[in-house]
Amino acid sequence: MSETQKRILMAKTGLDGHWRGPTIVARALRDAGYEVIMIGMASTDDIVRAAVDEDVDLVGLNIGGHIDVALRAVRAVQEARPGLAIFAGGTVPPHAKRQLEALGVEVYPPGSRLSDIVDAAARLTGG
Amino acid sequence: MKTTDSPKTFHSSSGFELRSFYTAADIPSSHRERAQGEPGQAPYHRGWHATGYRTKPWRIFQLSGFGKPEDENARIKFLLKNGETGFIMEHDRNTADHCYNVDHPEVVARREDVGLTGAVMQSVRDIAICLDGLPVDTSFGHAGGAVVQHAPFALAGYWTVARKRGYKLREIAGTGQSDFNLTYLGCVTKQQIPTDAGLRFNADIIEFCGEHLPRWVPVSIAGYNAADTGLNPAQELGTLFANAVEYLDEMKRRGTVPIELAAKGCGGVSFRASIHIFEEAAKMRAARMMWSDLLRTRYGITDPKTANLRIHCVTAGSKMTYQQPLNNVVRGTLMALGAVMGGVQSLGVSGYDEALSIPSEHAHQMSVRIQQILQEETNVCAVTDPLGGSYYIETLTAQLAEKAWEFFDEILAQGGYLACLDSGWLHARAAENQHREFMALESGEQHVVGVTCALDDESPFEVDGFVGTDDAFDVATERLNEIRRTRHEAGACAALKKLESVCRSDANIMPAMMDALEAEVTLGEIGDVYRNVFGDWNTPIQT
Amino acid sequence: MSEIGELVAAALDGKREALARLLSIAERGGAAVLEIEERIRPRVGGAWVVGVTGPPGAGKSTLINALLPHAQAAMGKAAVLAVDPSSPFSSGAILGDRVRMQGRTFGPSVFIRSMASRGEMGGLARAASTCVRLFDACGWPVVIVETLGIGQVELDIMDLADSVVVVLNPGWGDTIQANKAGLTEAGDVFVINKADKPGAQQTRKDLLESLALLAKEPKPEIVETVATASEGVGALWQAIEAQRSLLMDSTEMSDRRALRHRRFVKKTIAHQIEHSIARLLASERGERLIADASLGEIDLSRTIAQVLAILSHDLK
Repeated sequence: MSETQKRILMAKTGLDGHWRGPTIVARALRDAGYEVIMIGMASTDDIVRAAVDEDVDLVGLNIGGHIDVALRAVRAVQEARPGLAIFAGGTVPPHAKRQLEALGVEVYPPGSRLSDIVDAAARLTGG
Repeated sequence: MKTTDSPKTFHSSSGFELRSFYTAADIPSSHRERAQGEPGQAPYHRGWHATGYRTKPWRIFQLSGFGKPEDENARIKFLLKNGETGFIMEHDRNTADHCYNVDHPEVVARREDVGLTGAVMQSVRDIAICLDGLPVDTSFGHAGGAVVQHAPFALAGYWTVARKRGYKLREIAGTGQSDFNLTYLGCVTKQQIPTDAGLRFNADIIEFCGEHLPRWVPVSIAGYNAADTGLNPAQELGTLFANAVEYLDEMKRRGTVPIELAAKGCGGVSFRASIHIFEEAAKMRAARMMWSDLLRTRYGITDPKTANLRIHCVTAGSKMTYQQPLNNVVRGTLMALGAVMGGVQSLGVSGYDEALSIPSEHAHQMSVRIQQILQEETNVCAVTDPLGGSYYIETLTAQLAEKAWEFFDEILAQGGYLACLDSGWLHARAAENQHREFMALESGEQHVVGVTCALDDESPFEVDGFVGTDDAFDVATERLNEIRRTRHEAGACAALKKLESVCRSDANIMPAMMDALEAEVTLGEIGDVYRNVFGDWNTPIQT
Repeated sequence: MSEIGELVAAALDGKREALARLLSIAERGGAAVLEIEERIRPRVGGAWVVGVTGPPGAGKSTLINALLPHAQAAMGKAAVLAVDPSSPFSSGAILGDRVRMQGRTFGPSVFIRSMASRGEMGGLARAASTCVRLFDACGWPVVIVETLGIGQVELDIMDLADSVVVVLNPGWGDTIQANKAGLTEAGDVFVINKADKPGAQQTRKDLLESLALLAKEPKPEIVETVATASEGVGALWQAIEAQRSLLMDSTEMSDRRALRHRRFVKKTIAHQIEHSIARLLASERGERLIADASLGEIDLSRTIAQVLAILSHDLK
C-alpha cells in the first residue's frame, strides 16, 4: 500500500553546478524507497514553493556557500511549514554546521556515510 | 587497520589488475623500444627537455580569489610574496558562470553567496582593480574565464587592461581556460550556451590568439573536472584528447590559422593529480605520448616545439577530507609528488581546508610551502623523469595510453566529444564510477583515514572554514550603478549592438568583444545577448 | 466536520497548503478519496485539462516550461501534474520534471505537482483523476497533465484531458510507437519537438499519412517546436486553444466529458473495492484466511465467499 510513501525535496542553495553529491544521495534515497523531488539550484522562494506544493515529508539542502543563504532558506521553510524536518549536506564548515544545528537542521558533511543519511531520512520522516 | 579484510587482488584506478611485482617482460612489446628512449625524443613520455626541472622548475600556481576585486588582488599579492610564480584570477561564480550582473534576480536571491569563490568583476573597471600592480609581464597570468560562455569576456577584459597599461598584446604571456569539462560535465550551470556555440567561442579565441597573442595559451583543455566528477585516469586522458580533436578539427575546417599554430595553442593542458601516485605519474607520461602520437597520425605534425605538451596540474580536491583536515597536508604533498614525478610544468595544490571552504591564507601558504619543500629539499628537480625505466611505470604508461585510446575511439564513434556531452553519455560513465567508489567506501572495501577508520583526533588545532568578506554584493551593486551612470552610453550601446550582430554571424567574436570591454559594456549585458542569440543548452542530466 | 472536510473547505477557500495535502491523500487512495470526491463534486467542471504525452526524451517537460507563460497569460494561472516512473525494485522514484519547469520564476500563479507512478498502474490514472479534479474544484482554470511515456496507463490518463497533446521527435521510431500505442487516434494536437534536428519533414509526412486513415475530422494540427529555444510554442498554444474552441462549440465536449465521467465512476468503484480487499488481506484476519486456504483447510470458493461477506458487512 502506498499509505507510507514518503516524499523528500532536494535542493541546492548555491549557484554552483556540482551535481555529484546530490545525485549520489538522491539515488540512495530512491533505492531506499523514497520519492525524491530534485529541484537543483533553487532560490529560497523556489524551495519554499516546492516544499508547500509538493507536500514533502523532508527537505534536504545541499549547501556550498556562505551560510547566510542557507540559513535564510531554512528559516523560510520553517515558517511556511512549521515542524517539517530539514537535513543538509555539502561543504559546511564547522561554524556553519553549528549555526544550522542550532536551528534544528541535521548536518551531514563530506565523508558522511550514505547509510547514515538514509537512516536519518527514515527517522526524520517518522518512518 | 585489519589485514584480514585486505582484498585479494589490487587494481589501479583505471581498472588494471596490478601484479605484485613487475619485470621487463611485463612491458608491452609495443612500448619496449620507447621505454629505452630519452627525454626530448618523440613521443616525449620521458619529457620534453633533458634538463627538465634543473633549468625550469614547475611553476607554483594556486587558484585564488574571493570578494571584491581588491580582495582578490590582495590575496594574489600575498601568494606572489609567499612564493607562487604565476597567478590565477578567479571570477565570482554566481555572476561569471551565468554571465549575470549582480542585479539579476538569480544573483539577488543568493546575494550573500556573491564573492564566495571569486571576485565579482562585471566590467573592465573591476578587472583593472583586480590586476592593479600585478606583474602581468613577468608572471604567467591566468585570466579566469573557466566557464565557456564567460571566457571571451574574461580574456578580453584582461587583455584590454594590459593594453591600457602599455603592454603589447603580442608580448603578453598567460593562459585562458574556457573549460568544456568544467562547464558541461562536472559543474553544470543553470543556464549555458549550447555546446556548438561553445565550440565556436573557443575556436574564435584560438584564432584570435593565433593572430594577435602568440605567447598566450588561448584555452586550456582540462581533465580535472572530468576526473573529479568520476572518470578514471584512462578515461580522463581519452576525454581530454577527444576534446582537443574537436578544437583542432574545427581549426582545420576554418583554415584561418595554420594547424601547427592551433596545435601549439592547444598544447597547454591541465590534468588532475590524484592520490594513486604511480598511476598519476604514469598518466602524465602517457599524456605526452598520446599528444605526440595524435598530432603525428591525425594532423601530420611532428615538429617538437608543437608536439610538446605542457601540463598544468591541480591536485584532487575531492580527496581532501572534512574530518581531521591536517591530514590533507600529507595528501596534498603526496599528490604533488606524483605530479612532479610525472614531469608537469605547473602545479596547484588544494588547500588542506578544501572540504570546508575556499582556502584560508594559511592553507594557501601551506600549498605553496609543500611545493617549495619539494623543490628545495628533496632533490626531485635534479633528475628528469626519475621513474623512467621502472618496469611498473613503463607498463602502466603503455596500458594507460592503450585504454585511453579505446575510450577516445568510443567517444569518436558516437559522433565526438560534443555529442557525448549532449547525450549525457560521459556523465553516465562518471556516475557509474562514482557509484562504485561510494559503494566501496560504504562497504569497507576501501578506506579513507580519518573518515572510515582511524577516527581518533588529537589535533589541538581547530580548523574552520575561511570566511571572506561580506560586502562584495553591495560594492558590486554600487559599481554597477556607477558604470551605468558614468560610461559613454552611446558608445556602449553601439558596441553591444555590434557584438550581437557578430554573434549572429560567422565572424570571430573577439574583436567585437575587445571593443565592448573597452566601451565598458557589462557582463550581464553580454550574457543577455548570448541568451537571445544562442538559447540554452539542453542539460542531459538531473542537476 | 471531519479532517478531510476541513481540508477541503480550506482548499476551496484558496489555502494552498490544504490543496497540497489533499493531493497527497488523493495519491494514497482509499476511503478518504471517496469523501474528497463527494465534497468537491459541486465545484468540478470549470477547468481545461491539457494532457501532454509522448515517448521518454521527447522534451515534454521543457515544452511545458515554454508553454506555461502562454497559459498564464491566457488563463491567469495554471497547474501542472507531472508524472515520473517509480522504481519497480524499491518503489522509490526520482521526480525530475519540476526542475525543468523552473527556468523562469512563475510565482504563485503556477502550481507544479510531481507524481510518481507508484507501481499500481491502474491506480495511477485514478489518482491523477482525483488530483485533476482537486485542481479544478480549487479554481485552477487550466491543468496540464504530463505523463511519462506511451502505453495503456498513459492512454488512461489522457482520458482525463480535453486536449491531448502528443509530443514526438524527428525520426521514424516515434511515429511508429505512437501508432502502436493508439495515440494517433487519441491525439488532438501533435508536436514535432526538436524540429531543428534532421528528419522533421519526414516525420510530418508520416504523421499526416497516419492521421489520414482516421475518420476524425477536422484533422489534428501538427506543430513544429524547438522547446529549448521556445520556438513554435506560441503556435502550439494557439493550436490548443483552437481545438478547445472547436470542442466547446460542438456537443463533442460534453459527450467526451460524459463518457469520461462514466469511466471515472467505473474505475472508482473498482478501485475502492480493490483497496478494501487489499486492506483486508493485509490484516491479521486476512492473514489467517490466506493461511487456512493455503493449507487446504478451506477451499478457495469458500474463502472468497467469506471475504465478500466480511467486506459487505464492513462497508455498511
